[in-house]
Order: sequence, then C-alpha cells, then structure tokens
Amino acid sequence: MASATAPQPVSSPSAAAGAASNNPHKRKKPAARGKGKGKGRLAKTPRRSDDPGDLPRRRSKPSDRFLKLLRKRARDYNSDDSDEEERLSDEDEDEEEGASGSGDDEAAGAVTRFEQGCRAFRVAFTKIMAKKLPDDPLGPILSAHKKLVAAKLAEDAEEHKPKGEGRREKRMAAEKGHVIPTNHLDSKEKELIKIATQGVVRLFNSVSKAQNCRKGLNPSRSKDAKVLAKETKQAFLTELSKTSNQSQKGKASSNFSKNNSKDEDEPGWAPLRKTYMLGSKLKDWDKMQTSDVVNEQTEIPLDDSSDEE
Amino acid sequence: MARVHHKNGRGGGGGGGGGKGKGKGKWKMPASVARKQQAAMANVDQVTGDKIPKSFVFSRGKLPSTLRHLQQDLRKVMLPYTALNLKEKKRNNLKDFVNVSGPLGVTHFFILTNPKSSPHLRMAKTPQGPTYTFQIKEYALAADIANSQKRPRCPPEIFKNSPLTVLSGFGGLGEPFKSLVEYFRHMTPAIDPVTVKLSTCQRILLIHFDREKEMINFRHYSIKLQPVGVTRKIRKLMQNNQVPDLRDLNDVSDYVTKAGYGSESEVDDEAATVSLASDVDKLNRASRKSAIRLQEIGPRMKLHLVKVEAGLCSRDVLYPQPVGKEGLGKKGKEVEEETEGQEDEDLMESDDDPEDESEE
Repeated sequence: MASATAPQPVSSPSAAAGAASNNPHKRKKPAARGKGKGKGRLAKTPRRSDDPGDLPRRRSKPSDRFLKLLRKRARDYNSDDSDEEERLSDEDEDEEEGASGSGDDEAAGAVTRFEQGCRAFRVAFTKIMAKKLPDDPLGPILSAHKKLVAAKLAEDAEEHKPKGEGRREKRMAAEKGHVIPTNHLDSKEKELIKIATQGVVRLFNSVSKAQNCRKGLNPSRSKDAKVLAKETKQAFLTELSKTSNQSQKGKASSNFSKNNSKDEDEPGWAPLRKTYMLGSKLKDWDKMQTSDVVNEQTEIPLDDSSDEE
Repeated sequence: MARVHHKNGRGGGGGGGGGKGKGKGKWKMPASVARKQQAAMANVDQVTGDKIPKSFVFSRGKLPSTLRHLQQDLRKVMLPYTALNLKEKKRNNLKDFVNVSGPLGVTHFFILTNPKSSPHLRMAKTPQGPTYTFQIKEYALAADIANSQKRPRCPPEIFKNSPLTVLSGFGGLGEPFKSLVEYFRHMTPAIDPVTVKLSTCQRILLIHFDREKEMINFRHYSIKLQPVGVTRKIRKLMQNNQVPDLRDLNDVSDYVTKAGYGSESEVDDEAATVSLASDVDKLNRASRKSAIRLQEIGPRMKLHLVKVEAGLCSRDVLYPQPVGKEGLGKKGKEVEEETEGQEDEDLMESDDDPEDESEE
C-alpha cells in the first residue's frame, strides 16, 4: 500500500483524475485504446487493492498522455532525432511490456505497478548497458538504422568540407589584388612621395610668385590702380584674341597639374626650346591634336595665363 | 586677369537678375528659372568662373567588401565635389546615372567592377565619354595604410577642399596616354595661382606612370606644413593651445632652451621648403620658410590601362591591349617610335583616325 501511495505526489493530475472519476467516458477510452497486455494488467490491479484501485489506473492514463505529449514535443523540438527517439521509446515500451508481462507471472505476490515500472526500467537499462559496443567512431547509437545514420553523417562531413574550401576560395578571390602595405616605407614609396613633394613645392612657389607681385600694389593708389588696370586690360585683350589653339596653351599653363607635363619648362624664346628646328610641323600637329582632344572632352571655361604675364 | 573672370561670372549670374529686379520694381524671377540659375551657379567656381568637375563613384555588379571599402575611399578622395553616400540599386543601370548626372552637373564617373573576380576601375566622362578601363593590379585601402603608420593623420577638415593633382611620368607619351592626361587634369578643379588660398591645399593626388612596368600608380597624400627653424616644443605649444608641463624646470626659459630628445626632422632638405605667399595658419606665416611634409592617407592603387572607348562604356575601342606578352612588346615599340620623331608621323595619324571619326 505504501508503494501505491508513494507515486501519488509524483503524478500531479491525481486530483483531477479523482474529480473526473465519475466520468465513464474517460474511463473507457484507455481500455479501447490500450494493448491487450496492458488491458489485462489494468484489469488485474484493481483486484489487488480496492479503494485506491482507481487511482493507479487513472494515474496511468494521464501519464500516458503526458508521455505522448512529451514525445510529440520532443519530436517537434528536434525533428532530426525524432525517429530515433521514437524508436527508442518504442523499444522501451516493448521491453517494459515484456518486463511487466514477466512481472505479471511473478505478480502473484504483492508487486505494485511502481515496482514493475522500476523493474522494467532496470531491465531495459541493464539490457542496454549489457550491449556490446562495436568500435564505432560514431559512438553508441540506439537506432536500428545505424548504417543509415553513419552514411548520413559521412555525407554531411563530405558536404561540409568542400563548403569550407569553397568559402576560402571565394575569400581569396574577393581579396584579389588587395595588398596590405608594410610598416616601413620602401624606396619606391619614398620616390613617389618625393615626386609629390616636388609637385607641391612647384605649386607653392608659383602661387607665391603670382601673389607676391600683386601684394605690393594697392588698388586705392592711383599709380598701382593703373598698373592693375593695364594688367587686366591686357589680359582681357589676350583673352579676346585667343583662338582655340592658343587657348589650349593658356589653359594648360593655368592648370597646376600641367607643371609636370612636358612643355611647362620650355623657355619662351624659340631657339632655347628642345624641339626647335626639330620639325615644328610635328609640334604644331601635336598641339592641334591635343586641342582637339580637349575640345571634345571638356567644356571647362579657359582661364587666363597669368603665369605668363 | 582673374578679376575679369570674377566680374564676368558675377555679371552673368546674379548681376543680370538683380538689374532686372531694380528696373521693373516688383518683377520676380520665375522659380524655375531661379532654380536653374542657381544650379548653374553651383557648377561654377565663384572665384575663377571655371566649371567645377563633379564626380560619381559607384559600382556595377556585386562587389566584395574590400572593394566596397575601396569605393568609399575613392569617394573620399574625390570630395567635396562628389556624392559621398551615393546609393545604387541592382536595377539601376548606367543610363540612370547618366540621366541624373546632367542636372547635377556631374562630369566624371568612376565605376568599380569585379568581372571574373579581378577588380577593374573605369573612369569616364559624361555624357559623351571617353571611357578608360583599368585593371586594378594591386590596391590598399585607406584603413590598411592608416594601420601601417605609427601616427596616421587624417583630420576631417582636409576633405573640405578638393585635392591637387600631380601627374608625373606621362611626358612624351603617345595617344592613349595623352588623352588620359587631359582626363586626369580635369578630374579636379583647376587651380588659379593668383587667387588660390594656400590653406585650401591640404591633399594631393599623385598619378605616376611607371614606364617600365606600364603601370599607373595612384597615391593620395595629405600636405602638412611645418615652419623651418622652430623647435618641436614651440611648435607643439602653438598647436596644442595648452599650458605646458613645467614642473621639472627651474625657469621658464629652460622650456625653450632645453633641447628635447633628438631634433627629429631638422634634416630638412632644401627641396621641400617653400616660402609662403599668405598665412596658412598660426605657425606657418606669410614670407616664412616652411617645410612640406606629405603623409599618405590612402587609398593606394596600381592600375593598368586595358581599354579606351570613345563613348561612355560603349562605341569604338580606341586602345585595345591584347592580353599576353606579344601585345606588351608591340605596345612598347609603338611608344618608342612615337617619341622618336618625325618619321612615324603617318603612323600616329593613322592611329588617331578612328578617334577623329568618333568625334564627328
């Protein structure tokens, strides 16, 4: 009797079961659904203990359902393992039934359901533990479809490997041409910095040259104002008289970047030029050509050739 | 001279509208006209009257993340006349950009592509072209360069003005490079030596042509000016605007006279010193000698010219470069011949013929 009362707190819905005890509908259901052996077992128990006899039966009913629910949840939770688990649980059930069946034989004595459960579990557990495990790299698998699982795992591994390789390749392709610079400046970089510095120096010098000569002039003084006016007038006239050919030249000199291009340093006096007597035709052609290109490319308004003035 | 320009610019734009306003009393410029004028004014430099080149940097196709960073770095290089946060969608095609570029006054396109996972950069003029296609052989991001430096210097103010462009190594080259030089020259606003403020020159873009390898090196530096003959301590004192730490000193004069460890950069080579025309900042005063220091801010690119097209990513191919050694050898010879002089004039002309046709 003590053994019968012991599981009472364990199964929580006992009270509810008690409340529902007068509901015949519920009582019938498991009988209709239960297996032959279970039925017999259920039939036996009330014989042994009368008044709490209903309790274990009802206890078994919700617990059964509960188990099913749990199983279902587990299946939902991890669909991968579901079949395995189901199989496992089926096995367990079979064993339990077998055990309970054997227990029934002995149960002529006073073996309660709880003990039966215990025993069933013990039997199942010992059975599992007694199993000889083959030297499997997969470890112990309680599935009948061991081979299938193994195959699946192997497939997964195979699939995973090229995936990683592919990713690496992809990353390499994405990084193509990406060179992370070294910490120290190598000679080539120094050379480039030198070139750039020269360019800046030239610009700054030309700026200071252009701006310093104007600095002394004060437009409010009549004398300086004259000079400035003359300058602007001159510039204006040159602007007017510019043809496309000349304008190209003026533009080029006004642009700073021109500093490093080839005709920058050429002296104004023709005999001092490098190209003097070296086929002016070519040179003129050259000019024409570039100006054509420029006209095609840009419509940037030309600005003055202040350097030359 | 710049004065004339200045006046012209004003007279053409605001002056005309103002005069009309006075004459008619309550005459108001129609909103659409005003907007158009304003837009036109925005595309023109207020001082020199030049048209300001503006650019779009965008990509076609899907780019890996490093190239996307490179795109952002290129945008920063082209600041301030570029769209820093230009968003493109997959369904945008080139035509969309061209259509937008007209009203916005965008003149240059930089298009990053990654065909067969080898990065390419296309530089184009809108809307007519030409288009220069480069293969990016090597590149380093601004972040990589900052990582490689002990003290990276990249204050946000330097991006408020457009960079100077320095071209080198392009002298005496044949056709594809000649027009390329023109392209690079007009990529950034031209500088007028008479009116320019030195304090606006804070970045420099170096485009250097390596003739042996036929590579174009693309570098981006910041310009720093340091007064010559001023010790480091004084310089720091002026820059930091903070009371220096004088705890260990007996006298204030010690602070100045006591030499710090290693007068580091006193080995100024004469080549890098300039006398300034105007005040740049507190330290670099006019008519003082200052040393120019460049520090790389990135990105860094090594470009190889692959193709030149007459139109915007379309039309005749002006400069095909066949892949392989044969092509390289042929090209090198061509350049040599061109520099030699008169005799190959015919050859050059024949080379240029297709371009002339395309112009018409």
